[in-house]
Parts: sequence; C-alpha cells; structure tokens
Amino acid sequence: MRPSFFHHLHPPTIPVKQARFRYTLAAGGLAAFLVFVLFVTGLLELFYYIPTPDQAADSIQTITFLVPYGSLVRNLHYWAAQFLVVVAGIHLIRVVMTGAYSPPRRLNYLLGMGLFVSTLLLDFTGYVLRWDEGIRWALVAGTNLVKSIPLAGQQIYRMLVGGLEPGPATLIRFYGWHIFGLMIIVAGLLTWHIFRVRRDGGIALPPPRLRETLERIPRTELVRREVAAMLLASVALLLLSLFAPAPIAPPMTSAPSALAVSRAPWFFLWVQQMLKLGSPFLWGVVVPLAVLLALTLIPYVFPRTSPRELGRWFPRSGRPAQFFFILILVSILTLTVLALLPG
Amino acid sequence: MPVIMRRLIVIASALLLVTLIAIALWINQRVKPVALTPSLTGQVEYCLTCHSDLAEISPSHPVKTYGCVICHGGERLALDANLAHSTMRGGKNPADFSVVQASCGGADCHSGSPGAYRDHIQCSTTSIQDTYAGAIALIRYTYGDQLDLTARLGTRAIDDAQSSTGITSLGLFDPSQEASPSVRLFGQNCLSCHLSAQPIEGIQYARFTGCSACHTPTQPAAINGAPVGDLAKIHKLTTAMPYTQCNTCHNRGNYDLRTMTFQPRQDNSADRLHHYYQPIAEFTKCEYTLECVDCHTRTEAMGDGSLYSSKFDIEYTQCKTCHGTLTELPKTRTLTDPNDLAFRMAAIYPVVDLRLGDTILVTEKGEPIWNSRVLSDGTYAMVGKVTGESFTFRPVKGTTCKQDPANQTASSCHECHSVQR
Repeated sequence: MRPSFFHHLHPPTIPVKQARFRYTLAAGGLAAFLVFVLFVTGLLELFYYIPTPDQAADSIQTITFLVPYGSLVRNLHYWAAQFLVVVAGIHLIRVVMTGAYSPPRRLNYLLGMGLFVSTLLLDFTGYVLRWDEGIRWALVAGTNLVKSIPLAGQQIYRMLVGGLEPGPATLIRFYGWHIFGLMIIVAGLLTWHIFRVRRDGGIALPPPRLRETLERIPRTELVRREVAAMLLASVALLLLSLFAPAPIAPPMTSAPSALAVSRAPWFFLWVQQMLKLGSPFLWGVVVPLAVLLALTLIPYVFPRTSPRELGRWFPRSGRPAQFFFILILVSILTLTVLALLPG
Repeated sequence: MPVIMRRLIVIASALLLVTLIAIALWINQRVKPVALTPSLTGQVEYCLTCHSDLAEISPSHPVKTYGCVICHGGERLALDANLAHSTMRGGKNPADFSVVQASCGGADCHSGSPGAYRDHIQCSTTSIQDTYAGAIALIRYTYGDQLDLTARLGTRAIDDAQSSTGITSLGLFDPSQEASPSVRLFGQNCLSCHLSAQPIEGIQYARFTGCSACHTPTQPAAINGAPVGDLAKIHKLTTAMPYTQCNTCHNRGNYDLRTMTFQPRQDNSADRLHHYYQPIAEFTKCEYTLECVDCHTRTEAMGDGSLYSSKFDIEYTQCKTCHGTLTELPKTRTLTDPNDLAFRMAAIYPVVDLRLGDTILVTEKGEPIWNSRVLSDGTYAMVGKVTGESFTFRPVKGTTCKQDPANQTASSCHECHSVQR
C-alpha cells in the first residue's frame, strides 16, 4: 500500500529509541500539535474579535458568553497557549538535559530558541488583545520597560506602542503582530525546525555503530503514537477548557480602576519579581535578555556531548551545561514562586 | 507493540468522544441568553437572562426604553454574575450621590436640562437634606464652635457661586477638627440621616441613599401594611412617597443633646394616627390624614439649588398655603399653558385628571399644588398622592377663625385645631 499524505510526512522507519516517550517526553510533537490547535481556534476567534479599544473587551465577552461554543473555543485557545509555553519549556529542558544541542544540531537549537521567544511574544500580544482591566498593568509596565532603554528607548516605545501611551494604535499593532507578523515568523521557523530534525538524522542518537540496538519502527506505528498523543492531549485540553475558563475582566477604562490586576502573565512573573530590585532597565531588560542570550549560547560555549552518550538523559560530558541550565531554571522558578507569594 | 498502540487509540478516541458529548450536553443545558435592546441606548444587553423576574422600576422608566445598563452600569454582555456586576454604579443603588450624575444625570434626564426645575441632582446634592448644614451649624453654635447660625460646614465640601442665599460654599464637616467634645460626639453619633448616610441599624430605619432614600419605598405604605422586604430586592421608584418613607429619618426618635446619642421613640404605635408623629407632637387632622408630600413641595424636600443654613429657610408651606388667611384666599392658578409644570408633575403619578382651564392652588412661591382643585362653590379639593383619597376643605376667610395675621406658623393653628390622641 502506498503511504497516505500523513504517513508520507514521516520517514519510512525510525530507530525505536527516537520514538520512546521517556526519552523525548513527546514535547516537540505536542508543541507542534498545540500550534495547530492555536491556529484553528484563533482562526475561529477572528470572526468575532474586534481590535478597537472601545470594542475589544466587549467582543471577547460576546465570544465568551453569546457565541455558540464561543467560550469553548476561547478556553481552548487560552489553555493551548499556556500549555505551549510549558511544553516548549519541557522540550528545551529535554534538549539541554540530553545534550542534544551539540553539532550538527546547533542551528536547530537556535531555530528552537527563536520559536520559544516567538511563542512568548505571541502569548504576550494575545494577552494584551483582551484590552480589559486584567491586562492593564502588564501592558503599561511591559511597554514602559522599553522606555527605560538608554538612547533609543523612546523611539522603540513609539514604534511598539504607536504613540505616547497605549491606545488604538497599540491595540492594532499588537493585533497585527499576533495574527500576522509573529504567525509568519512561527510558520517559517517551525517548518525550518522540523526540516532540520529530518536533515540532522532525526532526534539525537549515537551513530549506528555505537547504538545498543538497531531496532526500528515503521512510520505507521509512529503515526499511531502521534495520534494517541494528540487524542489524549485533546481530552486534557477539552476538560480544562470546560472546568477552568480563561480569565476575563471588565473593559479597560481611561481612568485607573480598582478592578485592575497588577500582575504580569505567569511566564513573566520572574521578570516582575526582579523589577522590585530597582533599575527597570537592568532588571527588566538587560537581565532577561542576558538570560535569553545565555540559553541561546549553550551549544556554542559548552563542550560538545560525546556521541556515545547521545540519546540518554544527563550525559556526563554535558554536566557543565546541565548545571548552568538548572541554575537558570531554578532562579526563574524561585522568582516566580516569590512573585506568587502574598505581600 | 502495534496492538497496544491500536488499543490506546481506541480508548483515547472513546474518551475524546465522551468528552465532546459531555461538553455539548453541558453547553446546551445552559440558560439561553435573553436579549434586550433598549431604544435609548440601541445597545443589546443581556441582564434579563437572570433578572426577568424584576418588576419594572416605574412607569416613567419602561425597561424597553431604558434597559438596565443606562442607570445601573455593569457589563451588558456578560453572563457571568461576577463580571456582569463588577462595574455596576453604586452597587445595588445607582442613585447614591457618589454616582448619581452618571446614573440619573445627563441633559435629557435629571440634570442640566433646559426646562425649569429639572436639575434635580444639583438641587438635591446642595439641599439641606444632604448637606445637613443646618443641624451642623446649630450644634456647632450651641456648643460654641461657631458664633452664629450661618452654615459653614456640610457633609461634603461644596462650592456654589450661583447660590442665591449668600452662602456660596460649605467646607467639609470634620468632627475631629472640632473644639467641643459634644460636637465631636455629634459627628460620631448623629450623622446617620442625611441623604448620603447609611441609616442606623433597624428595620424601621431601612432605606437606600441618594435619590432612592426617598424615591424607593423601602417601608410599607402604612404601619399595618406588609413588612419590610429584602432591601436588595426592592426595585421601584416613585414620586408618591408614603409618610413611612419620610419616617425612616423623621419622627423616629430624638437626639439627647447632653449625651449626643439617638433615643429611638419607644411607642409601638399600630395605627396611623399614633404612628405618624411622635407622642409629644401636636398636629391637625389634615397633617396625619394626608401624606407629607401632599403639602410639602419638591423644593422644600429637594432644595432649590442654593445652599441654606437651616431647614426653616427652605421650608415654607404653612396652613395658610392652602387655607389662606382671614383677609386673603390662598393663591390659585388657572392652567392655561399646556407646558405648565403642574401637568408634568401630574403626569408622573396620575391620581388626578388635570386639564387645561382647571384652577389649582399654588404655594406662596408659585409652586403648583397639582393634586388640588378649586371647586365651583369656593371650597377646595385635594387628592392624596399616595392614597388617592379625596379631601375637601374650606378657606379661612369668611369663618370665625381667631387667626392672628402675625402668627401663622403651625403651632399657632394647633392651639385650636390639634387632634386629640
């Protein structure tokens, strides 16, 4: 039988270890699936969402309360977006902790970091599209960070916000970035990223002569596993969407309101916590960018993983990179927990 | 291996199917939204999804015209109670003076419209019933914190350059700044009955604040009527306030000036004659058979837009307003202008069928007593605004009344005409 379209997207056979859950955690595949869910639910939201300050929050209330199955679509979009950050993070942890970033996968590591940053930007722009009291603090504080950049801060701020303060131009810019600009970037990077996985010989394993087993699975089995993962992920998303609705708040008014929430979206809580330390430019711009740069440079700074140790967790040759990564991870998690503590 | 995967797919598919069916059932059993597009706003609102059992607030505010949001605020599209109610003005009472301008104001509504006597918000919020400036001035004078009875402080700081009384501003009465301990106590214990104040505990004092203090009847119309219900569920506005509403502040007890505490009246009166006024009060028959609002006018209650030092400066209705004196008949007006204020007032709560050519009594300041009529035999008729009861009465002129033209206050009339209890 000739392979179907979906089978044809996969190599005829792959080494059995490349498809082992406890090695891959299925994070990369799930991330791709979540991008697909976000694309479809986002497309449906486009039919009702109105990107003007007057009507944005009202149109989201319309989606949430009045459009048939609108709340389900919005909740799915919300939860898929939250999961994407988590799953992409797990994917990054897996790659670093198994030493898979070493050549020839350095370029794909960069592409992955690009996708991760794009995901965070998509999350933040999508968050702002609510244009309600729940996002006021994050919008104002987030864009004000840009102002703190010496010399070019004001210009970048105006480019980003479209004026001297958040307004209609800001919303339409964030909307444009969310549904078009960042989408194009993600589509391009994602295609390239997946292409590179194939080019680099699939998921990292030792060269054939160093492998314990040469057993392979056919693509029919691979697709079956993917389908099973997607079905289970769908059930989880649907159940969460049913029982935990996406946040919503009254429309943003021009006057500061007691209803406003003064908290960053959860994936930026660690930055919010650092801002309490002082200089917004240092703690809100320099340090987060330095963390990002440090993560990006891991494949270039740390020694390459010994080929023999590929395809397994915590290879000895990758210890410096692992310790460095865990340090960053624990710092971010600690700051996040501190930000969540009352007072 | 493939067998396990196949089974997993079957199980996961079944799980997904069950979840989808559950979601479909769940979503379809939810309450169907009830839409209303009031003609004044033209914007759809869904409040009636939950609040369809609420009675229309008044014939002047039909829900099809006004809807809910124009007065109450709130999120018109939200079907989640917390979100829908989160931006409501004044919580359950949009007529509280802190939000009244947004809720009841506007050029087409109760503020700033070109017609005479229409700026009720400006009047009420500068009236003695809200500023409490009279009581504050009196107490400060009594205890030596000011040297005359002119009002200087009120429950709110107000600047009113237009005020015609010579008082163009009031400062905020801050009891902690007062020298006299009695005035400080007064500030603590005795500021519960101006229009912006929360009433003291007790079912007989239960009322809203702002416009609704008077215009939303929270008390039964008569003492032996129905008991007071849940305040939050009362959804009514009226211009026919029963005396029981006035009595949430008035006639409910006395302030002891030595201890500066409120002493509630102790009598448990079961009938109107005894309930209307406190036991010590003297009054005539018409003072308890009529309602307060049958005689006392809108400017007396809501002010005329100027700042006053005492209720005695704005209150002016007396016995002679309707009965005249030995030498003069009461003032009357024959209605020849279809735009006469009397028609507008009669239309709001139609207990009389007022027509062009009718002659009605008017007060000394020319305010129409629109529920009165001059009859052909020279006597007068009045219909109770709340009760709809008809009363007839005569002028003093031509009778043997021993009225002294120099003493026209009620207490003078009470010497002969008071009711025995």
